[in-house]
Amino acid sequence: MMDYQQQLDLQAYLDGELSEAKARRVAAWLAQDAEAAALAIELRQTRSAVTGYEKEIRLPESREFYWSKIQREIQRQERAEPNAERLPEWLKVIRRLLMPATAMAMVAFIAVMVGRQPTGIPSETALTDTGAMTYRDFEKGATLVWLSYPADNEFADYEAAMFE
Amino acid sequence: MKDLSSAEDQELVRAAQGGDMPAFEELVARHRDKLYARAYTMMRNEEEAIDLTQEAWVKGWQRLGQFHGESSFGTWMTRIVINLCLDQLRKQKRQRTESLDEINEESGGVERQMPVVTVNPTAGLERVELRQRIDRALGQMSYEHRTVLVLHEFEEMEYKQIAKEMKCSIGTVMSRLFYARRKLAALLADLRKGDTQ
Repeated sequence: MMDYQQQLDLQAYLDGELSEAKARRVAAWLAQDAEAAALAIELRQTRSAVTGYEKEIRLPESREFYWSKIQREIQRQERAEPNAERLPEWLKVIRRLLMPATAMAMVAFIAVMVGRQPTGIPSETALTDTGAMTYRDFEKGATLVWLSYPADNEFADYEAAMFE
Repeated sequence: MKDLSSAEDQELVRAAQGGDMPAFEELVARHRDKLYARAYTMMRNEEEAIDLTQEAWVKGWQRLGQFHGESSFGTWMTRIVINLCLDQLRKQKRQRTESLDEINEESGGVERQMPVVTVNPTAGLERVELRQRIDRALGQMSYEHRTVLVLHEFEEMEYKQIAKEMKCSIGTVMSRLFYARRKLAALLADLRKGDTQ
């Protein structure tokens, strides 16, 4: 009886996903094993039944109506954020690179401001836009800075770029 | 651009990249059925498929600058709609309990014990009927199994590409694909038995 890994190897062989050496081994085994041969026939038949037989589905809306909704949405988004998505790629890269630097600068600025506080009470400051937080302990004279990188909004940009 | 209907996709894309909206509208008209079919096969819901394809077209317009013709425009747009469908399906999955298919697959693989379907369950069927049966069988599967079949058989993606799209390992892709094929063979055979009874 075939084990699960052998069944998956057989499938990978039929899909052309194995290395040459492994494909030769599976082919030799397939030629001798009746159970493997029967499974191979079933997998091939299923594949040929599916390939090229996707049901023909047509969009149930007229060209004009469908397009009018898309056009409206494009215009709405362009009004909301003009040219943001259509920036050249190099400009987006610079924007992505500058974001952490801006965050660092803001953190440094906040750290300096916190350092100037006249009271001796430990304080925490959160920067919601950058995902950074500082903690100042005056007694010990220590300042801790947490940086979450990439910041949420930047990660979304990065993901959008990777998506392509 | 004067005659949009006779222009090649590439010319229309170039014009649309320059901000020509009528050229983009022509591209939408040409590829809208294919995109909708892909979304519908994955979502099994007309309204969601329409909404997601519209969202894909909006994103397509916004990202036209990133399209450099490595694939055809239709393929590029199909990838966008597939990603939107997968995001939506993942969101829906977080809100519902596991399907019977998922439990079966994860609890030790009933597909390993399924008897092999020895007779071709599709032999002698008319093209239209075969398409309907496959569609019905796909409708009875969990979204993970349906999607892996759609991406492999319809989109002709390799295991590696599917794993990337579905954010899972190649081993999971192989396992899901195996389960989906065996289940599909059994479902098609059942439909055939139903005919003869």
